[in-house]
Amino acid sequence: MKYAPFFGCMISVKYPQMEASVRKTMANLGVELVDLEGFSCCPDPIYFKAADKLTWMTLAARNICIAEEAGLDLVTMCSGCTATLSEANFHLKHDPELKEKVNQRLKKIGKEYKGNVSVRHIVTVLRDDLGIEKVKSSVKKPLNLKVAIHYGCHLLKPSEIMRVDDPDHPTILERLFEVAGAETIKHEKQVLCCGKACTHEEIPEKMTYDVLSSIKKSGADFMGLICPTCFDEFDLGQINLSRKFSVDLKVPIIYYFQFLGLSQGLSPEDVGLHLHKTKADEMLKKIS
Amino acid sequence: MKLVNFKFRHKLNTIIGGEAHNFCYQCGACVGDCPAALYSPAFNPRNILLEALLGDEESLVGPDSVIWDCTNCNTCYERCPQAVRPVEVIIALKNISFEKGTNPPGVKSILDSVKESGRTVKTSSLSDRRRKELGLKEISIVPLEELKKLLE
Ligand code: SF4
Ligand code: SF4
Ligand code: SF4
Ligand code: SF4
Repeated sequence: MKYAPFFGCMISVKYPQMEASVRKTMANLGVELVDLEGFSCCPDPIYFKAADKLTWMTLAARNICIAEEAGLDLVTMCSGCTATLSEANFHLKHDPELKEKVNQRLKKIGKEYKGNVSVRHIVTVLRDDLGIEKVKSSVKKPLNLKVAIHYGCHLLKPSEIMRVDDPDHPTILERLFEVAGAETIKHEKQVLCCGKACTHEEIPEKMTYDVLSSIKKSGADFMGLICPTCFDEFDLGQINLSRKFSVDLKVPIIYYFQFLGLSQGLSPEDVGLHLHKTKADEMLKKIS
Repeated sequence: MKLVNFKFRHKLNTIIGGEAHNFCYQCGACVGDCPAALYSPAFNPRNILLEALLGDEESLVGPDSVIWDCTNCNTCYERCPQAVRPVEVIIALKNISFEKGTNPPGVKSILDSVKESGRTVKTSSLSDRRRKELGLKEISIVPLEELKKLLE
């Protein structure tokens, strides 16, 4: 099984511990990640798209062309990159006029979008290509911890484009955390987003605060997620919130592949937990 | 009574790519689960759609437009029974606002960062060191010349 990984800027620059965890866990599962040269930012599905949609689509198409030239499907590890690249791929495949427009632009750099590869969030590779049982077989040390899952928005919606899971009743992350030993805990603000894209900062602050408080109340040991941007809002963001509202939230935020890595026998340092702003010490004590 | 601004409506249609939003029948299904509407009383996707149908340029793409409170969560895209894709209407409005220069500064700085470095998050000596400590390869280089040609 071979894929071209697209790590994106948040992971490769700001949270390389996620890249390290993906690489190590996927190697343990026998998946080959073939690194391709020349990717740029996906680009960002919020601000870049808000500025100029056609240029956004063109840069996304350029990234997809690189995978097409190598004949490999793209796998993404950030919900934002997944959103941009899936959406561009979807519209370019379905709208010949748009494809023509974008290819006119790509001609300037000698590229042409053809439409013959797929874009996949890496969790769908685990569920659909490897299978949950295979993931389970790589687990050496099931981690008996309670997880509150944060799906975020862009992994699931719009479902006609993303095609990852039922957007209102998803199960994919529950199943993946459970095979690594975790118990999944429901909480009130399960489907709320973080509000990152709002320009008035009180809104994302309130939203992230509400999500974290709801998790705190649920009794979960940590928040489990699959996107570096959501992570940024809840890990780093939590420090600012604790200061601002004089509360001690202390909800560790763990990226799925870090958790899988721990269950495969990697150390907390191997998966970079020491780099998190909200420390996971309490949680780690329970499994040591 | 206000007159419909058809010129603005036409422009909006061109960016959205289609006329689906003309079929909005103001049912409000997009409002119920909208997180921005829940947290910002001034924000309401149904109202935005009504203003878009009327072509209320001043309110929608002016400097204080409420469109920038949308979180881009795509829930309205799921809920709308008329396939209007309200979030895409909002994004098209943002494109027009950007063209007019009435956008919040954050939008421009992301664009500039991609122009300068090919990324929205720039590399630094700290990020290079972290990658090394984690046993990762040096970060790959973005061919900026190629990007420049596409961005001009
Ligand atoms: S979605 Fe965000 S992290 Fe991913 S490449 Fe785009 S800007 Fe970077
Ligand atoms: S929770 Fe925030 S960062 Fe995550 S997908 Fe939703 S808006 Fe984006
Ligand atoms: S955009 Fe769709 S959901 Fe919202 S009011 Fe119009 S028809 Fe109803
Ligand atoms: S994307 Fe739609 S549902 Fe989400 S905040 Fe914006 S208007 Fe509301």
